[in-house]
Amino acid sequence: MKLRLLFGLALLSVPGLRAVAAPAPAKMDGFTFVKTAGGIAEYTLDANGLQVLVLPDHSAPVATFMVTYRVGSRNEGLGVTGATHLLEHLMFKGSPAHNRADGTSIDQLLERVGAQYNATTWLDRTNYFANLGKEHLEAYIAIEADRMRNLWLRDSDRRPEMTVVRNEFEIGENNPINALEKEIYAAAYAGHPYHHPTIGWRSDIENVPIEKLREFYDTYYWPDNATVTIIGDIETADALALVKKYYGAIPRSPHPIPQVYTVEPSQSGPRRVTVQRAGQLGVVAVAHKTPAALDPDTAALQVLGSILTSGKNSRLYRALTDKNLTTSVSADIGFFHDPSLAIIYASLAPDAKHADVEKITLDEIERLKRVGVTTAEVSSAVNQMLASSAYARDGAFAIASNLNEYISAGDWTLYTTLDDAIRKVTPEDVKRVANTYFVADHSTTGWFVPILPPEGAPLPPPPSTATGPISR
Amino acid sequence: MNISRILLPFVALAAALHAGIADNAVRTRIAGIDLIACKTGVKDVVTFCGSLPAGDSFAGSGNLAVPTLVGAMLDQGTTTEDKFAIAQKLDSVGAELEFAVGGTLVEFSGKCLRKDLPMVIGLLAEELRSPAFSEEEFTKVKQQLAGQLQRALESTNYRAGQAFSEAIYQPGSPNYTPPTEAFLAAVKSATVTDLRAFHAKTYGPNTLTIVAVGDLDVAVLRAEVAKAFAGWTGGGAKISYPKAAPPDAERDQSIFMPEKPSVTVILGQASGLKYTDPDAIPLRIATAILGSGFTGRLMATVRDKEGLTYGIGSRVGNDSFTEGDWRISASFAPALLEKGLFSTRRELKKWYDDGVTSAELERTKTNLTGSYKVGLATTDGIAGMILVTVNRGFALTWLDEYPQKIDAVTLDQVNAAIKKHLNPDNMVLIQAGTIPAVAPAAKK
Repeated sequence: MKLRLLFGLALLSVPGLRAVAAPAPAKMDGFTFVKTAGGIAEYTLDANGLQVLVLPDHSAPVATFMVTYRVGSRNEGLGVTGATHLLEHLMFKGSPAHNRADGTSIDQLLERVGAQYNATTWLDRTNYFANLGKEHLEAYIAIEADRMRNLWLRDSDRRPEMTVVRNEFEIGENNPINALEKEIYAAAYAGHPYHHPTIGWRSDIENVPIEKLREFYDTYYWPDNATVTIIGDIETADALALVKKYYGAIPRSPHPIPQVYTVEPSQSGPRRVTVQRAGQLGVVAVAHKTPAALDPDTAALQVLGSILTSGKNSRLYRALTDKNLTTSVSADIGFFHDPSLAIIYASLAPDAKHADVEKITLDEIERLKRVGVTTAEVSSAVNQMLASSAYARDGAFAIASNLNEYISAGDWTLYTTLDDAIRKVTPEDVKRVANTYFVADHSTTGWFVPILPPEGAPLPPPPSTATGPISR
Repeated sequence: MNISRILLPFVALAAALHAGIADNAVRTRIAGIDLIACKTGVKDVVTFCGSLPAGDSFAGSGNLAVPTLVGAMLDQGTTTEDKFAIAQKLDSVGAELEFAVGGTLVEFSGKCLRKDLPMVIGLLAEELRSPAFSEEEFTKVKQQLAGQLQRALESTNYRAGQAFSEAIYQPGSPNYTPPTEAFLAAVKSATVTDLRAFHAKTYGPNTLTIVAVGDLDVAVLRAEVAKAFAGWTGGGAKISYPKAAPPDAERDQSIFMPEKPSVTVILGQASGLKYTDPDAIPLRIATAILGSGFTGRLMATVRDKEGLTYGIGSRVGNDSFTEGDWRISASFAPALLEKGLFSTRRELKKWYDDGVTSAELERTKTNLTGSYKVGLATTDGIAGMILVTVNRGFALTWLDEYPQKIDAVTLDQVNAAIKKHLNPDNMVLIQAGTIPAVAPAAKK
């Protein structure tokens, strides 16, 4: 996940939110009220264990409905990389009750009413969503619930969709930075499935059989492995009634949902990767292992990332971009279910040398680890993040999208408390997490080295790779 | 990699919200500025944007990079504060303020908390009125811009888009993108003196528009704008482009780029239409039926049925200030390129020859009016649509009339617009990527 997105995630205790009163829990037969945090109420559908989050917001006559399945590319193994994503595509191919031939497909319904809709897959989750006029909400919930268990999943649909997904993969390969990111993850993770890209390896995309996709669907697409989120111009009781009406008859999974138990072995030395291919300008990326999103150090790591790369006063902007060594610097601080990576990207300016930029980047990190940061730097970073949190509540869809990442990280309530944690970060915390996590032995450094191809025959196809959230 | 922007162009096509934007918005001229304020239910957040005509087309016969360089220097320090001090003020309260230069306009956008609006308006005024244009910062900006342009050359989308623009627009058009090498040379030769002269001539309150939406006090906003921009004069460049025939460019152009396993394709032409022309909305509806969303004909066939592409769509655009263009954009693997082009042309021909059906028209009308409502459910959506609307020369009431304008379009109007303004036999085809049939020696 991008740091940029993370800045837009945390909320609720920020001054700058849409007024959200904490509602009294709605009473609804068939649901168990679990808790309320930040105005969001959690219920469980008793019939099957479906988690339900509801946040009424009457500022516009629209509503967002999102279902988040707790399955992502971390649940894939050898030979089936990219299966989560390919299955996500096939989820739009129809069921006996909702399909294109009958004019009842999800695309036909949602485009007719002008909905903003799609689906995305990432490391830890798959989500399906629509933001639409509230009067169309029920029709969407009906179709979303239907495809949880009634999908056709035919090989005649897989074959043409495979080449669609392969072209999505190819579009990613066009971008050297994307290719570099994939290589870094592949090098940094030897055993844990974050090793492989969410879009999968090319050969797996091409060859995964429909039976394996069916197996995936039958393993993970159950109500007790999902969360539905409803935000918008609807009362809680009405939202729950719709969920019960359409999801209530679906049974819970007949088997326990398999859990990932692989832990990445401890890294005992720095790793390096190089991507050499046609291009114009180089990139240096320095990655360090960071803890899972629910770790208490997450807030301080986000502040650290901001101090290093966010804005003209950040350490690396001043040391690199302002010195014309880079055209930009940025940081992606991982926010995932399992320990992930904080990656600093430095895009080289013309004539800049990889080694020089890498050395300055590492020197700045070492200086920060040794000397620490100022109170003013922390204060500025914190205020930027808190304000971004407020901006990120602009509309039901924005809230649902951000909440989705906390659901997949393992605890949606962090969405309502991370701002407070960020507000409490001190200069000592930043220095401590820098020394704890930004250590050379846990690093993976990547260079993108552009090469001008010789005149003559085109080069052979590049090796495959891929990370990042991807959508249908 | 998110395709939703291609598939869901709801904001671009959308217009007015539920109950009356015009009734909620307050439009006044303050210190010469067209100020539009719209209070919404959001708490504490203010979204703002604005523009003035000082984009690349105003370079005239001078250095073509100067308008972009002036825009890039706006946040590099003013006569009273350096760039770090300004950035610190914004960062310390989490406010955002960005500038961008297009063909016609310099645009700015940002967000802040309600309490910080006066400070942000003050900084906006300072940056627009009094950029320092220091030699030291200018040298840095030139090098950074050169680097960004060089990096853009890695993108098949950028390369195809630039070539398409050059093939259908004449230099001087706001939609013309010059060859990158020419622009880089202009960046290199530009001077601070050029920048100062352009700024003095072009920037000023007379054609400046500011839109603010969210949790704001209109009276306070007016007072802050009046104070911050008091005494500033000038500006007022007229937006007027002569009608120009497309250049006599090569119809088929292939840009070979090694190690690009997805080829970007653009197939299109100059539309000859401005947004204010009566046929503009009918042609937009027709184009949406062909290539908007997953149920558009192109996605339904070339992607869903035949599996030839991840993304394909059609659109009308670049027509706010002058006659724009019509295009199909797609991506294909080199091995599927020929098949993909065949299928694309087949669907285009069928659409052109047979027109669209009444069922498709009705479905697209409800799509456009529905997505309009969804798009205006955020302060970003409202602010953006207000700015686009007034820049197209419409009154704010147009925002509320848009759904009726869509509903009023007839099937005959839609099908006539296709025939009248498009010619599939004379469209430009641009391909950029590792094209199998093109030897590297033949690259453009």
